[in-house]
Amino acid sequence: MSELTFAKIDRTILDTLKPPSRIYWWTLAILFLGVLTGAACWIYQIFTGIGVGGQNNPVAWGTYLINFVFWVGIAHSGTLISAILHLLRAGWRNPIARAAETMTVFAVCIAGLFPFIHLGRVWMVYYMLPVPNQRNLWQNFQSPLMFDVVAISTYLTVSSLFWYTGMLPDLATVRDRATGLRKKIFTVISLGWTGAHEQWRHYTRGYLFFAALATPLVISVHSVVSWDFALGVVPGWHTTIFAPYFVAGAIHSGLAMVLTLMIPLRKIFHYEKIITINVLESVAKTIIFTGLIVGFAYGTEFFMAWYSQNPLEMEIFRYRPTGDYAVGFWIMVICNTTIPLLFFFKRVRTTIAWLFGISICINIGMWYERFVIIISSVSHDFIPHAWGLYSPTAIEFGIMIGTFCLFFCLFFLFVKHLPSVSMTEMKETLEQGAGHGD
Amino acid sequence: MATDYSVMGLFTDENQAASTIRAIKDSSWPLCRVHSPIPSHKIADALELKKSKVGYFTLAGGITGFFAGFLLAAFTAAQWNLIVSGKPVISLVPFFIVGFEFTILFAIFGNVVGLIHQMRLPEFKGLEHYDPRCSGEHFGITVSCKAGDLEKLEAFFQTQGGEVKVFAA
Amino acid sequence: MSALAENNKRKKSLWLICLALIMIGFGTFLFGLAGNHPERAWQAYLVNFLLWSAIAQGGLLFSAIMHTVKARWSGPLSDLAESFTAFFPVSFGLFLILFLGKNHIFPWLHQDLHGKEVWLNVPFLFTRDCMGLLVLYGLGFAYLYHSLWLKLDRSISHGKIRKYLYKRWDRSIPDVQRCNSRMTVIGILYILAFTLILSLIGYDLVMSTDPHWYSTLFGAYTFVKAFYIGLGGLIILASILHLNPEIEFKLKPSQFHDIGKLFFAFCLVWGDFFYVQLVVIWYGNIPEETAYLIERTMTPPWNSLAWFVFIICFILPFIILLNKKIKTKPQFMSVLCTVVIMGIFLEHFLLIGPALNPHVSALPLGLTDGLIFLGFLGLISLAVMYFLNLFPELLRGETGEVK
Repeated sequence: MSELTFAKIDRTILDTLKPPSRIYWWTLAILFLGVLTGAACWIYQIFTGIGVGGQNNPVAWGTYLINFVFWVGIAHSGTLISAILHLLRAGWRNPIARAAETMTVFAVCIAGLFPFIHLGRVWMVYYMLPVPNQRNLWQNFQSPLMFDVVAISTYLTVSSLFWYTGMLPDLATVRDRATGLRKKIFTVISLGWTGAHEQWRHYTRGYLFFAALATPLVISVHSVVSWDFALGVVPGWHTTIFAPYFVAGAIHSGLAMVLTLMIPLRKIFHYEKIITINVLESVAKTIIFTGLIVGFAYGTEFFMAWYSQNPLEMEIFRYRPTGDYAVGFWIMVICNTTIPLLFFFKRVRTTIAWLFGISICINIGMWYERFVIIISSVSHDFIPHAWGLYSPTAIEFGIMIGTFCLFFCLFFLFVKHLPSVSMTEMKETLEQGAGHGD
Repeated sequence: MATDYSVMGLFTDENQAASTIRAIKDSSWPLCRVHSPIPSHKIADALELKKSKVGYFTLAGGITGFFAGFLLAAFTAAQWNLIVSGKPVISLVPFFIVGFEFTILFAIFGNVVGLIHQMRLPEFKGLEHYDPRCSGEHFGITVSCKAGDLEKLEAFFQTQGGEVKVFAA
Repeated sequence: MSALAENNKRKKSLWLICLALIMIGFGTFLFGLAGNHPERAWQAYLVNFLLWSAIAQGGLLFSAIMHTVKARWSGPLSDLAESFTAFFPVSFGLFLILFLGKNHIFPWLHQDLHGKEVWLNVPFLFTRDCMGLLVLYGLGFAYLYHSLWLKLDRSISHGKIRKYLYKRWDRSIPDVQRCNSRMTVIGILYILAFTLILSLIGYDLVMSTDPHWYSTLFGAYTFVKAFYIGLGGLIILASILHLNPEIEFKLKPSQFHDIGKLFFAFCLVWGDFFYVQLVVIWYGNIPEETAYLIERTMTPPWNSLAWFVFIICFILPFIILLNKKIKTKPQFMSVLCTVVIMGIFLEHFLLIGPALNPHVSALPLGLTDGLIFLGFLGLISLAVMYFLNLFPELLRGETGEVK
């Protein structure tokens, strides 16, 4: 960190905006093909009907909901890093804040797609908007699904504004070193930012408010998503711990995705001096914390299912580890709670291979957690006669692959057109490091 | 025209820039603007800036949003006016969530409006008396002066340790 | 020299006040036991035991967390927070005495529990809670031991405990690095134990008073509440010491601001955890769960208490603490934190009261409860004062040092 200077930071980061290599274009092309596959599957579903997916009676919510919750979850840790850690004055957030915040914006966009996909008849989406109409039909704001509409739209708007505002000084930096068309575009989007003291005075205050407001927003949005399940009466869903449990799980999966994205980014763009091993280690330590919370929640749910002596609760918690979806359950438990404990060892949390491997495990585990929660509860609820199984169809897999590819596609486009590390915040870290004495 | 030139002194060291600002404040030179690549505490202290008013916009937005959210939910429920799922038509517990989300949304809108209004962005005129190095590693302090004082001002900046750049006003 | 005598005289009068409060509280408690309604006395005892133990446990948690995340702003506050460990042995003793009141604090003793008897029976409950508290307090003391190792000033040499500690430490040379890393490990273990043991206490002593009700978040709600009032207690202690011109403990306004912000944050977390349980139970409308909620928040006489608690523990601190300047004024913060702690006392009472006093028309709260509250306050004040007297290094507060 001490060898970095303002100039070196600028140079390292602006270098990443140079024209990309062949490998980049090929990867982008493959990702784009994936996106097209997903789009094709979705179009087929629109024409044929929602029945091409595996959801039916009794399991009416399948991978579309799983992916929805998965992507909203991933979005949350981006805001944790850029907003909450800003409030806590944790310096290790600075190198990764920009990329994390971008991850948030794209993840929310992807998440927002899934209610549309799951709608089937997408042309009816306007039913969700409170617009005056002839029949005086309005939305039922008592429904958790409407809470979702409000919460996710708020989150998308706030995250995008936060992302853009945070980038403003950096956009000016790019403008000042760009030429031709890029210079013109960045002149417009940097809104004439000059770094004057009056601008900084208002900017820092506004940014603080952004961070202070984004923090309760993060907690509330994933609580609202958890209430999609908890406000029903289905055993295994109707439980008070869901809101904090989902928030902790969201941050857990999001931090893992941050590692998954940062580690290759760091290698390819030569960010080793900027995104140091210490930064990755701090992310790993936070993962231990969130993993323990998730483990606590699992244990509590099991204990309380027994304590309640309620046959429905006890049955669902017998079904999860031993029933038809037991494989998913054990993947979930091991990947989310046991494997992250390895981060207690310093060797593990400072080795790139371990960090990357464990982050992939956690991503898979958290996806399976949503699978276990959603599918097992609904397939095995009150009346044994109504029990039924679910398995995703090829169309659902196609859409899932399409959305994963869309996320990485957007991220790839981002890293080559916008500065993927915040130059301003990196320079601030240097100044704080140099001038620290009070 | 009151002044003929805007002279910018460019410094790479934050401490030098801060001490120069204090020196300018003690002297009779009118300080126009200070450009910096980072929001520097030292420079803000040297300038003795007042607190920004953006917060009032945010608060106004937040309060509006809280009531807007509640009213929207209550209004739509009252239009249907039938008991659904055994819950009262207008009930505090679920409507609080809508109110809360709208509070945050409108507070952020207030924040953005406040920022745009207070920072007076987008403003491209500021780019005329600006050096692109100020977004890199330099701190630029701009002072305006008349034609006769130009050399004195340039010398002043050079003694403080900065590089000088002159703009015609 | 006369300043020192003044100081000693003041200290002595404080000791006497605490002893007097303890006597009053103890006396009221015994008087209550001997009267017609011993269950009221035991109810007050239980509520106070939970409240003051939580303050002490939450107070030390602050220190453990600050050390684990290597915070730089909190040095003197973390040191001060360690003084709450003095209440741990007292709390453990109080818990053992609680056993004597088992007929009055466990409504499920003579109920048909449909299989829950495996868990809810006096021997198992007391054994596991006893062991839990031993683990938690043991870890707290281990943390304290290491922390004192790094802090104690060898020039002060009176006192038996000190001599014992010095003898131990002289046997092995303290290595600062190893001591710090051990403290981190123990700190993490304390944090884990805090969450698990306080959840257990919450389930066993509070949630089980209505044995047919359950809420999965109740354990987490209990320990979040404990941290909330632990922070409140720490702010009050820090403010009292800071405002006293003769004690060398002084905090910067930014430190008051920071801990005020943390208190505000946990006010929000507490409110959030309260609402989260409320909305799920309200919305699901399952009679098994709603009975508990309806009795406490919608039927008189408890509903007015519920609203009162919500207003002084959440709404009032929320609105007040939005302002930055207020957080930096120790006089005001100590008043606010006192109000909040009293509010949480009422909240404990709100949770337990309806179960121990079914079908009452007026709140079973009176002067005796207030006097017993003062008695416990005297106990914790005495313990903390004794500790700070024993280890005045905790008040020296080396700011900015990375612990």
